[in-house]
Amino acid sequence: MVKVGIPRAMLYYQYYPMWQSFFRGLGAEVVVSGETNHTILVKGAARVVPDTCLPVKAFLGHVIALAAKCDYIFIPTVRSIQPKVYNCSKFLGLTDMTRMVIPESPPILDIEIDLNRGQRRLYRDIYRLGQRFTANPFKIKRAALAAWETHCLYRQLMAEHRQTPAEMMAVLFDGEKAPSPAPEPACARTLIALVGHPYLTNDRYLSHRLLERLRAAGCTVLTPEMLTGAQLKQGLEESIGQGYWTYEDEVVGAAGYYLQSGVDGIISLQAFGCGPDSLMTDTAQRQAKKLGTTPFLSLVVDEHTAESGLVTRLEAFLDMVHIRKRERQPLCR
Amino acid sequence: MPVTMPRMGNIHIPFKALFEGLGIDYIMPPPNTQRTMTLGTKHSPEGLCIPFKMTLGNLIEALELGADKLLVPGGYGICRLGYYFKTQAQILQDIGYSFEMIPVGVSERKFLGIMEIVRRLSNNAPWAKIVSSFRFGIAKMNALDNVERKVHRVRPVEAVRGTANRIYARAVAAIDRAPDYRGLKTAVSGSLAELDGVARNEARPMVVGITGEFYVVLEPFSNLDVENELGKLGVEVRRSTFISEWMKFSLFLNPLGINEKKRVQRAAAPYLNRDIGGDGWESVGEKVLHAGKYDGIVHLAPFTCMPEIIAQNIMPHTEEQIPVLTILCDEQLAKPGMLTRLEAFVDLLERKRRVAAGTAKAN
Repeated sequence: MVKVGIPRAMLYYQYYPMWQSFFRGLGAEVVVSGETNHTILVKGAARVVPDTCLPVKAFLGHVIALAAKCDYIFIPTVRSIQPKVYNCSKFLGLTDMTRMVIPESPPILDIEIDLNRGQRRLYRDIYRLGQRFTANPFKIKRAALAAWETHCLYRQLMAEHRQTPAEMMAVLFDGEKAPSPAPEPACARTLIALVGHPYLTNDRYLSHRLLERLRAAGCTVLTPEMLTGAQLKQGLEESIGQGYWTYEDEVVGAAGYYLQSGVDGIISLQAFGCGPDSLMTDTAQRQAKKLGTTPFLSLVVDEHTAESGLVTRLEAFLDMVHIRKRERQPLCR
Repeated sequence: MPVTMPRMGNIHIPFKALFEGLGIDYIMPPPNTQRTMTLGTKHSPEGLCIPFKMTLGNLIEALELGADKLLVPGGYGICRLGYYFKTQAQILQDIGYSFEMIPVGVSERKFLGIMEIVRRLSNNAPWAKIVSSFRFGIAKMNALDNVERKVHRVRPVEAVRGTANRIYARAVAAIDRAPDYRGLKTAVSGSLAELDGVARNEARPMVVGITGEFYVVLEPFSNLDVENELGKLGVEVRRSTFISEWMKFSLFLNPLGINEKKRVQRAAAPYLNRDIGGDGWESVGEKVLHAGKYDGIVHLAPFTCMPEIIAQNIMPHTEEQIPVLTILCDEQLAKPGMLTRLEAFVDLLERKRRVAAGTAKAN
């Protein structure tokens, strides 16, 4: 069976169930790299100039880890999934860059997703991708439709059950029992919104287990994936109007929504040198400052980030949030 | 209600001509200084690129002088540039300025968009007057770039260092002052003749291509005047990015389907086969095209520039080989460090040339 490798980095967290369903539908086996670790990051970082951003370095490390284990590596180029809204250059150049800096990588399966060029072209590109595996057009169509349904289900379930991508994938693939739809969190719980791109917030190594740390501290963590598309859009429109970046709703949209919905604190996680986030986090931060209702912590990580520094800032922030909460909501104590 | 706009190279001179021709009240930001940079850096998010910080500094200095209509670039599908104006507007409002921000399309409706904006600013001046002022502005831009091209050639071989720069400074001032086409023509032909007459030494200069991101290539303050420093080291610089060229193509020829960048993009295709925003695609293409023709390439990029990082990662892996020196420009870039790197680079190129000449003789 043909093996397709998918690196556990970048867009993996948003789209993996869809990709897996598509390639399995075409009769291929899907291989995923392990979780990010020190070796993966160091190997990836060694191939590129130092100012390349952290998630891209990790991504290249994952490709290196997969190189000997599969026949193809799937790296889509997501240019645009909304009219007049485009993606960061790092996503656009990822396929070509990987091909150049990792010569030992198996052939790269590449598809350019650009909705501005029309749906016909998108369908044609999906068909061409499928042709690498089968000559049967109906099989490709079936696989593509099943993949799309999987994706919609995945998004819907994450929003309904307030689950992170890793937790939801465990439910979808490993047969773990889905938790009942999350009840509205009790007001005694501290609600922390963790905004940022899924490839950072869900990567336990890159984020220094931020999510687990927050939960261990007794917080209920809300992430952008736990919102529906409409809620994200609403948040974005309230903050800045028309979006500019493809994944802007994950930062500005989610922060905007959670600012309105009343959480106890917002933490934004950003990679050092991230181009879009340098603007988006600033926008979110200004919005939070303008409203003056919710504490906002901005964490920037790179490969030199020391865990103890991050933990100290987190503890100080949570202390401040708890004190505020006690003062403001005496009834909930 | 004076209009202003950020600086970039000499772009303020043609715009001055346009505004004066139409009687539009304007205030140009003072020339870039350390203060501009400090102001811009102080108020910007730290992870942003130097063009954002410098242009923000320009806007603040112009607002201090009383400007209140800000002409800024905007668009989509490029890089952070298209988003600049939204963040800059928020920053300036938070500082406490009141102003009107007018984004000029750099990705769509370029020509008609700018024409409509100019018409609005000029209180609906007749189209004939707008077109003629616009043409005069473009004539000034072409004149400036023609003189600059000549300066690039003369600077490395002038017998007395600094002669070309002095003539260039005079020429820029004369072009800026020129009231009509006749004055412009005299200014240009005078400067060109003066440059031709400069006493030269016999050296055969190294040829180095300048490529990279648009703003840092065109704004000498942001790259610490790298072209001049290379000239002092006896290096002739060639660059394909000129404002007049860019204006000519993006305003008039691209809408007609003529794409000047086709050749560069085709050259890059085996390594990078798509537009990645900014000038990343062209940087890779220029390396491929210039290999074997130039002695080396100086690649200029703002620190954290997304397209140029991709280009920088791909460039060492092309089959066509040519020495490339990447200089990252930001508020931390210092002259002594840059000079040391330039000197080492030029030494390397000279040695390469000597070795090549030696093997040629041995054969």
